[in-house]
Amino acid sequence: MSTSEIDPEAVQAQALERIQSADTEEALRAVEREFLGKQGVVQGLLARIPSLEPSQRGAAGKQANQIKGAITQALAVREAALAHAAMDAERQALGFDPTLPPPTVERGSLHPITQVTRELEDLFASMGYHILDGPEVERDHYNFEALNIPADHPARDSQDTFYCDQEGKLVLRTHTSPVQVRAMERLQPPFRAVAPGKVFRQESTDASHEHTFHQMEGLVVGKDISVGHLIGAMKTLLAGIFGRELEVRLRPGYFPFVEPGFELDARCPFCEEGCSVCKRTTWIELLPCGLVHPEVLRAGGIDPEEWSGFAFGLGLSRLVMLRYGIDDVRHLLSGDLRFLRQF
Amino acid sequence: MHISYNWLARHVDLTGISPEELAENLTLSTAEVEEVFRFAPHLSDVVVGHVLERVPHPDADKLGVCQVDVGQGAPLNIVCGAPNVAGGQKVAVATVGTRLPGDFKIKKSKIRGVPSEGMICSVRELDLGDEHDGIWVLPDACEIGQPVAEALGVVDWVIDIDNKSLTHRPDLWGHRGMAREVAAIFQRELKPLDTSLPELGSGAAFPVTVEDNACSRYLGLAIDGAQQELSPDWLRFLLLAVGQRPLDLLVDLSNFVMLDLGQPNHAFDRSRLGAKGIVVRKARQGETMTTLDGFERKLTTDDLLITDGDRPVALAGIMGGEDSKVEGNTSQLLLEVATFHPGTIRRTSARLGLRSDSSARFEKHLDPTLPEAAAGHFARLLQSIQPGVSFPLALSDAGRWENPAKELRVRPSRIRSRLGANLADAEIVAILERLQLAPQLAGDEITVQVPAARATKDLGLEEDLVEEVGRIYRYGNVPTQNLIGEIVPPPADARRRWVRRLQDALAGGARFHENMGYSFVPDRVLQAMNIAGLPRVQVINPVAEGQAKLRRSVLPTLLEAAQTNRQRHGQVALFEVGKGYLPEAANQHGEPMEVHLLGAVLACAPNLEAAFDAGALPRLHGVARELLSGLGIALAGPEAHTDDSPFFAWAHPKKRMALRSAASGAVLGYVAALDPAVAQNLGFDGDAASDLAVFEISIDRLLEEPPEGSRYRPLPKFPEVKVDVAVLAPDALPAAEIVTSIASAGKGTVQGVELFDLYRGENLGADKRSLAFHVTLASDARTLTDKDQAKYLDRLAKTLEHQGAELRR
Repeated sequence: MSTSEIDPEAVQAQALERIQSADTEEALRAVEREFLGKQGVVQGLLARIPSLEPSQRGAAGKQANQIKGAITQALAVREAALAHAAMDAERQALGFDPTLPPPTVERGSLHPITQVTRELEDLFASMGYHILDGPEVERDHYNFEALNIPADHPARDSQDTFYCDQEGKLVLRTHTSPVQVRAMERLQPPFRAVAPGKVFRQESTDASHEHTFHQMEGLVVGKDISVGHLIGAMKTLLAGIFGRELEVRLRPGYFPFVEPGFELDARCPFCEEGCSVCKRTTWIELLPCGLVHPEVLRAGGIDPEEWSGFAFGLGLSRLVMLRYGIDDVRHLLSGDLRFLRQF
Repeated sequence: MHISYNWLARHVDLTGISPEELAENLTLSTAEVEEVFRFAPHLSDVVVGHVLERVPHPDADKLGVCQVDVGQGAPLNIVCGAPNVAGGQKVAVATVGTRLPGDFKIKKSKIRGVPSEGMICSVRELDLGDEHDGIWVLPDACEIGQPVAEALGVVDWVIDIDNKSLTHRPDLWGHRGMAREVAAIFQRELKPLDTSLPELGSGAAFPVTVEDNACSRYLGLAIDGAQQELSPDWLRFLLLAVGQRPLDLLVDLSNFVMLDLGQPNHAFDRSRLGAKGIVVRKARQGETMTTLDGFERKLTTDDLLITDGDRPVALAGIMGGEDSKVEGNTSQLLLEVATFHPGTIRRTSARLGLRSDSSARFEKHLDPTLPEAAAGHFARLLQSIQPGVSFPLALSDAGRWENPAKELRVRPSRIRSRLGANLADAEIVAILERLQLAPQLAGDEITVQVPAARATKDLGLEEDLVEEVGRIYRYGNVPTQNLIGEIVPPPADARRRWVRRLQDALAGGARFHENMGYSFVPDRVLQAMNIAGLPRVQVINPVAEGQAKLRRSVLPTLLEAAQTNRQRHGQVALFEVGKGYLPEAANQHGEPMEVHLLGAVLACAPNLEAAFDAGALPRLHGVARELLSGLGIALAGPEAHTDDSPFFAWAHPKKRMALRSAASGAVLGYVAALDPAVAQNLGFDGDAASDLAVFEISIDRLLEEPPEGSRYRPLPKFPEVKVDVAVLAPDALPAAEIVTSIASAGKGTVQGVELFDLYRGENLGADKRSLAFHVTLASDARTLTDKDQAKYLDRLAKTLEHQGAELRR
């Protein structure tokens, strides 16, 4: 089609119709090129102006520019409409299934004993307790003698011991209590300390017995430390562990390194009228504790006339089991991923 | 220990105190009660029946058919095979529906065609003894239709006390002692008990010689004319209630006295003891004896023996001998009531694995004044049952002992401050009085008289009296107090902080699971790893064969866990923070060095077409390096780990990388693959065949690193330029040298070098590889131009040429 034959009005009508019927961005761009491009129809209209009569040139130029303007505007309107339509289509989300299982991104995990130990360490550290360690292969002196448990003491029965030598000089510690005297040797009273760690008992294993488990020892030495302080500290501890105040009771318990010695029971946090955890008593036996025996203070180089203290032994493994409802202690050290990845 | 409620009631009035209340109070003041249960509850279901008549069974010679009145409706028709059943007897009848011990439910049945509506019970069927040669004939006074338990007055409860909580209380190993506690708790009177010796004959005391201090006292009471017979019901039922099988009167009385007063005793056949009488001595090396249970015991010179001057007749304080036991026709007895050294009894009993009710008591340290009361108690009880017995000889009393009763002083102020309770002096005195400690308050001190029964072990210090007052006062009455004092933050614990950061980084970004394992390593694993010969801490009494050795490294633990887990999981990524135990580095006290280690294992299903950076070893290497550099430890460039000490006998000889600190030059750890044979030995084959790598880092060495920490570097001021660099290099040229060249050619402008492709191919030629890196260039002074980039590549090309490599353009 030669430009001289072009009917400008027809051009505009044709362009607007083509714009209206373009239903993709691409088609729209094609229309734009056809009419407004360098070689486009509108350019053709403008190009023919010099060949017109001078009197017609002004009107023709004006008309061409009006047509260009009309097409440009129609393009913009149509472009916006197409964009909206595309978003509406996206909003339809045809074929989208929100119940499709997502790909698994497995997280790592910290051992439950680590998690509970950290909570307790943080709790105690905030109250000024030192966090201590002690050797696991321990001298008979710290594990027994210094704790007022001489050889042939019947209390040794309840702590079936792994011995590392025939003379019984070196044992795998049967409790975290040896850290008591080690702490007294290192720290000047008054002080507060806890010592989490691994302990060992020579016994056969079942769902509630392990030969290796974790405890946390606590020791506070100061002026006029009393049973009342012990109860207060234990209440704080339990509130920290269980997230709320629990009623506690102390009853006599015998451990040679404390005098008086107690078993501390807490109201079962899981029931009100007795359950399997508390063996239907509503009390759970949580930890042995007591005032530090004067002989033990002496063994640690502390004068029992001047200072007194309390000590407690928290069963970390047991606490972890209570916290998470674990029914078999052997899972804790099993290395079984099916167990570990739950925490 | 089992305590019978009825038995306790012989010593203290329990009116108005239920068994449960008793248990609760004992738990709060004295010792832990494990449970309270009814004694023989089935005796309340079995009723007293009156046998109206017995006629022979029409079809069976040995059976009888009885008409039994049980007080309800028509008499029951019961077929019974016992020979001793007869009309007129009162018997124990289990009617239809009753459950007997052994979960045996009585049903209506027909026996040889004759209907039977219940069972007439023997003693054995009711779990009350071994006699089963006939039915149990009840006293005539029993009321027909009443439950047997009520009719005989044997409604009883058993209070089971945790023995461990009685370790320090030898006085509580009998009902009398427990009753003393109950009396103190409930403020009731202890009933009097006459334990004085009856009149003794004028014969010279039976000779007793104590040759060893391990026997502090030995009493011998001669008894003549005792008859063997069954014990009276009251005695049998009390013994049954606490789980002691009644046998015959003498054995039952001996047990009764032990369970009543806590004092073991033993009756010998006097006629079978020699003329030298009793000699108490230590065993001779190699000596043996046969104990009552029929076992021959090999003895050592630490064991204490009761001998007849020649042969052993009892293993002192533990068990009698087979040869001198009292048998049916014994009428001349010697009752031994002695006190032995607790440690000696405990050692022998532990060594022989022979625990008895007797040894359990002696090892608690019994009161040496108790034997006299026990002898008197036995004699008076026997006399009351068999008035014909006589005590022909003076009492033998040998050994050296002292009355342990003593005086103690306690400051009421000390009691108040230790308990944290504001108890008045008078309240304290009242409590001590309830405990029969005869307190005398004078000034600011109370003097108490500790009776012998409490003095051997339990009460010796002022603190012990704090406990006495506290437990009767009840700890529940002590007001809660908060600790008061200056709170100083505890000193920073660098190791703890490191451990937490390492754990968090591994469980977090690296997505590993934390393991905690045993310190023991099975021999089998050590052998599989070729490290069974290394020095190790060992226990001499392992829980199982081959489980005696402690680990030096956490790797064996992790590899064992990885192997088990790989059978279930495609990928296993575990780490553990734990100790290794090195006996060769023990301190002067013999304590082995305990080293703190972090180990990790990554095991995946093998994938032979894995990309160069997708294998377990490079991935774990990356994890380890990122872990340390992320925690502020700058590492030297990757390098081979060449330690060939015996510990690394499990490791692949070549596939090992050292983790070396750039700051100190120390090797902090290593990353390694397994030697292929070790992998197979450990079971990483078949379904568990794995692409596997491990690392181990010494936490102790991390602590010695200069505290570097992460440092801020100013962000680049001018735009960074990314250049991709491909290098064709001989296999023998270590990548680290190429990386060094890439960095140094930049004259300070190289900000980062990252390997993104590694390629070998025939087109490259043999023994050659192509390494492609993203290199980031930037300058602090100006924007780098294309010209700078070109110059950089020219310099790099030259350097590489010197190394025998080629920059591919």
